[in-house]
Amino acid sequence: MFPETAQCLKAAAPLFSQTVLLKDLSRLSTHGGGSHLQARRHLSISRCLASKARPVCPPRERVEIPGLERVTYGEKMHYVPGLSKPFQPQWERSYKDPGHYRSPPAHEMPLFKDRSCFVFNQRTSALEGVLQALWLTKTKLIPSLPPQLLSLSENPANQIPDQDERVQNAIKHARFWDTTEERPGKERYSNTMMVNLLHLCATLQTSHPAIGRRIQAEKCSLATTWTRGEDLFQIRGQNALLHTCMDPLPEVSGKQEVSDTADHVLETFYPVSPTINLQKVNVYKEEINCSGFRDDYPYPHAHTLFFLEGADANCKLRPDQFRAKMLMFTFGSALVRAHKLYGPQRVLDRPVTVQAVGTNGRIFQFMVFQLNTTDLSGDDGIKNQVWLDEDVELYDFAKVRPFILRKQVKVPAGLAGYKPEAFSKFLSLYLHGAV
Amino acid sequence: MMALSCLTRALRSLTLSQPALLSSQGVAQTQLAPHVTGVVLNQCRGFLTTASLKQNRTQWKLREKYTIKPIGMKKTGGRDYTGKVRTHGIGGGHKQKYRMIDFQRLRYEPNKVDQPFDEKVVEVRYDPCRSANIAMVAGGSRQRWIIATENMQPGDVIKTSAVIGRMAVSANEGDAYPLGALPVGSLVNNLEIQPGKGSEYIRAAGTSGLLLRKVNGTAIIQLPSKQQVQVLETCMVTVGRVSNIDHNKRIIGKAGRNRWLGIRPSSGLWQRKGGWAGRKIKPLPPMKVYVNLPSISAG
Repeated sequence: MFPETAQCLKAAAPLFSQTVLLKDLSRLSTHGGGSHLQARRHLSISRCLASKARPVCPPRERVEIPGLERVTYGEKMHYVPGLSKPFQPQWERSYKDPGHYRSPPAHEMPLFKDRSCFVFNQRTSALEGVLQALWLTKTKLIPSLPPQLLSLSENPANQIPDQDERVQNAIKHARFWDTTEERPGKERYSNTMMVNLLHLCATLQTSHPAIGRRIQAEKCSLATTWTRGEDLFQIRGQNALLHTCMDPLPEVSGKQEVSDTADHVLETFYPVSPTINLQKVNVYKEEINCSGFRDDYPYPHAHTLFFLEGADANCKLRPDQFRAKMLMFTFGSALVRAHKLYGPQRVLDRPVTVQAVGTNGRIFQFMVFQLNTTDLSGDDGIKNQVWLDEDVELYDFAKVRPFILRKQVKVPAGLAGYKPEAFSKFLSLYLHGAV
Repeated sequence: MMALSCLTRALRSLTLSQPALLSSQGVAQTQLAPHVTGVVLNQCRGFLTTASLKQNRTQWKLREKYTIKPIGMKKTGGRDYTGKVRTHGIGGGHKQKYRMIDFQRLRYEPNKVDQPFDEKVVEVRYDPCRSANIAMVAGGSRQRWIIATENMQPGDVIKTSAVIGRMAVSANEGDAYPLGALPVGSLVNNLEIQPGKGSEYIRAAGTSGLLLRKVNGTAIIQLPSKQQVQVLETCMVTVGRVSNIDHNKRIIGKAGRNRWLGIRPSSGLWQRKGGWAGRKIKPLPPMKVYVNLPSISAG
């Protein structure tokens, strides 16, 4: 048939020389559809590809009348107007294919409970911020760090040689010298700065050997359960950058102060409910209590949690919500440890203390949390305590380029306005328990 | 027969081909001649393109579950799903996001039905999709957007109640009550015309209606257009005046600002002024009655 067609073509086109004809046709074969759409258009195919979409209408309801059987065009094997569409049951494969797994509805899952649980995770943005976290954890807020803790870094024996200069170098490294880009992003420099400062503090290990009894863990998980009022709450998800220690932290406040907290009245925020913005789930494990490590882990005591504001790019929290998250996860770490140590004991003999530091690369939040009781259901009785020092600035500006307004240099390039108090607070939290 | 169809197709491809490109192809391609007949036979391909054919889809509108997150909108340019102009004068403008407004103010929380509830205003802000401002309110364990009233501030507590008592309540601005509970002569907005349907009237910036009188189980409201409507007294309204009262005093300033808002110029065709131009004095239309409507189940 092929030679015959070619002959026909030759006969039909006497005006064209054979080479031109062949060139033209070979061009057709080399260049696909693009150049010759006009010639090759086939309406029966192109029409259905280019047709306009119908508006979405809900699927028609199937009415089943008992005793009546539908007349379908299934036997005919083709569409017949007036007959109904044959019903095809959903095909199920006889083997297990993880790529096409469809989870059962929530109420058929084995972990489904009737009582719903409110889950706090790293992305939760609690509307009422610290107030809400204080209510959820039944905690009394003390708005500054404890004085005996602050005095740790005032002692010259506890200070790093050339402290201010080395801290400034650490900041400059994070802000200017870390990358070949013009300026590093916030996620990057806040992380670098935290690592630099921790490294700087760790140089004190020669004089304070107890620092060597700590280890650092990243991306460990945390899960804990407690009851507050009539609701069940859980903290779940990854913990922050965690320093764990062989020895527990000493408690910050004495027995007298702890018993005084029974008089404290928790602040409420009517008409907003404390469970607002927490994820409400019905599929969960009851009595879950996991610190992310095995029971025989040699560093079981959480020492300090380090939070970075830009750690999760998909979730940006405002400062108050960020502090609330810090408080909740610090509380969670302490509660896990208390459940492991004391079990169902209500008021702890030795309170569990955990610290937290949060930063966005310039502003630091310092927190010391002391868990006095695990009985959180009622509003009366002994409360937990938190010492919170918020919005401590480490420096004012760190500019790669000077800030110029109306031809006047308002802020020069480089580090400006370094404040040594912030690092001394950082250092005293770090040395807590090692001096 | 086959040969004839091949011939006609080959001729068609010849006549519609671009002559300019022919000579530029190399002579070496003549070696490809054995493929020629195959190509001619396989011509029946559809119109293939890489461009998306799914234009003007409204997937973003199909959400049913309430969310306070802003939803990205797709611009239609006034075209409907077939691609034809449905509304003239729309196109371009700044990108906008849609925030779901809860127009049904009396929406109880799941386990607290028929109890009056309070809500706290968290934020009052501009909304690109309407002339009035919107307010984020939080109460119980939920948050929602509502239309803000004139003096609403963050931190205010507003009340919603469905109780019609014997005495008229002294309502604060921003509170929502059924019409029967309010004193005659109060300024209202966000008017429902059927109980439970959600507010439909008096939602534009700076507008307010007037509760004129209450007649055995119904209430008569004067709309901002001075037309009067009669609705059932169980319809919910918000007390006060809608926010952004200076909306009608803003100065557009230039033609380009209207383009920022997504409004295109009209066609510019000159037309002789006729009877439509000039002052007209018409009597007010009669009162519109929304009571005694046939119920949905009966219809």
